[in-house]
Parts: sequence; structure tokens; C-alpha cells
Amino acid sequence: MNAFSQLQFAKAAEFLVPSLIQGFSVVIQATIFGFLLATILGMVIAIGRLSNIKIIRGFLYVFLELIRGTPLLVQLVYIYYVVPLLFNLIASMFGVKTDVQIASLTAGIFGLGINYGCYMSEVIRASILSVDKGQTEAALVLGFGKYQALFRIVIPQALRSIVPSLGNYLVMMVKDTSLLAYVAVSELLLRTQNFASQTFLTIESYTYLAIAYLVISIPLSHLIKFVEYKLNNK
Amino acid sequence: MFNIFELEKKFGDLEVLKSISMYIEDGEVVCIIGPSGSGKSTFLRCLNLLEVPTSGKMYYNGTILDADLDSKKLRQEVGMVFQKFNLFPMFTVLKNITYAPINIKKMKKEDAEELAMDLLRKVGLADKANVYPSTLSGGQQQRVAIARALAMQPKMLLFDEPTSALDPELVGDVLEVMKQLAADGMTMVVVTHEMGFARDVADRVVFMDKGYVVEEGTPEKIFNQPENQRTKEFLARVL
Repeated sequence: MNAFSQLQFAKAAEFLVPSLIQGFSVVIQATIFGFLLATILGMVIAIGRLSNIKIIRGFLYVFLELIRGTPLLVQLVYIYYVVPLLFNLIASMFGVKTDVQIASLTAGIFGLGINYGCYMSEVIRASILSVDKGQTEAALVLGFGKYQALFRIVIPQALRSIVPSLGNYLVMMVKDTSLLAYVAVSELLLRTQNFASQTFLTIESYTYLAIAYLVISIPLSHLIKFVEYKLNNK
Repeated sequence: MFNIFELEKKFGDLEVLKSISMYIEDGEVVCIIGPSGSGKSTFLRCLNLLEVPTSGKMYYNGTILDADLDSKKLRQEVGMVFQKFNLFPMFTVLKNITYAPINIKKMKKEDAEELAMDLLRKVGLADKANVYPSTLSGGQQQRVAIARALAMQPKMLLFDEPTSALDPELVGDVLEVMKQLAADGMTMVVVTHEMGFARDVADRVVFMDKGYVVEEGTPEKIFNQPENQRTKEFLARVL
């Protein structure tokens, strides 16, 4: 008898797939807002690290070391559980009794945004630095200021190499939303875990989970390749 | 226009300019010649504060140039043309020329474009207004760069080896444009290896070596009766 015939993919699909479809919307929210935050933060850190002011550069350097030296999962748990507790503790020192909590999806978005922002800042910084110095000088000698030259002339040229590599981070972030299961965001992994532990349809459930990620990430990475191709052939 | 006293520039321990004193008068064409590494380009870049001098004094029309000065204002009056053109690759030729007048001088778009077309005609490239710089030859790009600098209506132009990155057959067109500018009375400081241009166009030739001004004078004097031994040796090698 074929052992695989015992698997109940149809039964798993009936209950799990609708749940996963709901989970998609959570994944998409977390990715869109997380990536938006990461892009803004990455840009700000990159520009800050090119600043002349030593304190800013030093502060950002330490911040980057802290974030890149700890796992994303630990950061998520820290933001979700520790940050509210710390806040309440500090407030109590001033005699204020607070009971701040952070919504799990919000914590997830901040975790993803901060972590990815730090990695993306390095890509953005390298792209800005790779633009010929002559471009800045040409803008300066026409009477533009340093930051005008950066924003009007240099960054638009840097975007050409920034966009494709940020696309890769976008695909990575979609997959890393699975870590949000550990801060109680009901995304795909958490939904699947719950379903599998109730029904013992372990093989079926996690196979569907893997397929669900492929359904997002494969079209997305092809879309990014297409955008990259368009940018290079403009 | 410019009065420069005992200008010095160091990069770390490297002393690139050692006590340069010089003046530049209105309408004058000054050519700076000298071997590589003599500090010619650094000196030129000090004039519009792309490099900040380590010590010494510079006056521009009586105003002292120092850290407090708004270098943006100075640069609107003292334009610059680079060896490697440095046109903006994402803009058309026309936008390269109108970008600064529109954004810095707040010139109206139509006026800026009219001015740009006049300048393009002057440098012989009116038909290239709507193409991107990457489609142009080096000589054409450099002429666009000159038009771009002129669009700010500067009182003076600095040229940093404007023909050194060009194929030999393209040099002539650029020099022709520069000759025309000189004839129109533009104040120009030109760092160049084109001795023919220096001889024909310059009012004054300055020979620099190892961070010093070694000798200066009319082209006739420098090219025909150089006094300093180093000038003689340099000219013997390049002429």
C-alpha cells in the first residue's frame, strides 16, 4: 500500500488555505510598512553616515553595530516584550503608573524596518559613494550647495544601483515575516502551526505553508528582475 | 579681480602649494603650465574654494575669501570647466545647461532655454539640444560643459585641463570655442598642456613647478626667452 495515500491534502486545504489567504494580508501589511520604514531609515542612516559631523557618524556606527550584531528574531522579541516593560519601568521611576503594550504587528513592522533599514543603509551608502565625485563638483561649481548636489544630482544617479539591490531585500523581507510568528502576529507560520497541532496533518500543513511563500516570492523576484532590466535599458 | 597672497595648501603632510602669490585682472587670459604634480589644478580649485587653502589670503574683487564666505555666491560668478566634462548623464544637453540658471538664479524656464540655445549655437551644437550627453563625443561634451558654465553668466571661467581627456582630433573644436570666449573679453584662467593655445591666446603665462610659481610673463617671454632653468627644461621637453 502506498504510504502517501494516507495523506489528506484535500482536507488540509479545505481549512488551512482560507486561513493562509487571510494570513497573506498580514504578510503584505507587514512587508509594505516594514519596507517603507526600512527604506526611509536606510536613506537617513546612509546620509547621516556621510555627514561631516562626527557625533552623528559615531552614533550611527554604534547603532549599526548593535543591530547587525544581534539576530532579527531577538530584536523582534525585544521590541515586543522588553521595550514596553522598560517604558513602564522608567515611567514608574517618575511616579507615573503606565501599562504600555505594543501591538504585535506594530512590533513586527518596527523590528523588520529597523533591522532591514540598517542593512539597506550600507547598500544605499555604497551606491551614493560610487557616483563619480565629479558630479558633485560639477553641481557645486554651478552654485548648488552640498546637500542640493547630493539630493538633486548624486542620489538620482545612485538610485539606478540602489533599486535592484533593494528589490532583493524586499523578497528577503517577505520570507522573514515568518519570524513574526514568535511575537504573536497571526501570519502564515503561526496559522499553520496552530492548524497542524490541532489536526496532526503536519506534512500537509507545512507543505502548504512552503507553497504559500513560493507563491509570493517567485513572482515578486521576477517582477524585480523585470524592473531592473527596464532600468538598465532606459 | 583676484589677488592672492602666499597661498598654501597641504593634504596631510603633502605640501602641494607653497606660498603662491598672484593676481588676475579683469578680462585677462592666464594660462598655467607646468609638469604633472606641480599644483596647477589644486591652485585652480582654490580659486573657487573647491579646495580650501591651508593658509594665505585671497581677495576676490576686494572681498576676502575665507571660511565665512558664502562659496555658493562666489561660484556663481567664477565658473569652472573640468577635464572630464562632468555633464549630468540623466539630463539632456539642454537641461544640463538650464538646470542651474532655473534652480539657482530662478530664471524663467523659457528664458533659460532661450539662453541655452544661444550658447549652444555659439559652441556649434544647436542640433544636439535634446540628446543625452552619452551620445556625444568628448569634444562635443566639453563644449556643452562650457555652455553650461556660461549659462550662469559668470564673470570669470576656470578651465582645468579642458582638452586633456580628448582625442587629438577633437581638441581643436574646444580650443576654438575658448579662443572665441577670450576674444569676447571673458576673464579666464586655464590650466593646460596645449602650448600652442597658451602662446596664441594667453595674455600671461605662469609656469608652476613643485608647488611654486617659478616664472611668469607674456607668452613671448616665457616661450622665447625663459629665464629660469626649470622653465627651460620643461619647455624643451614639451615643445
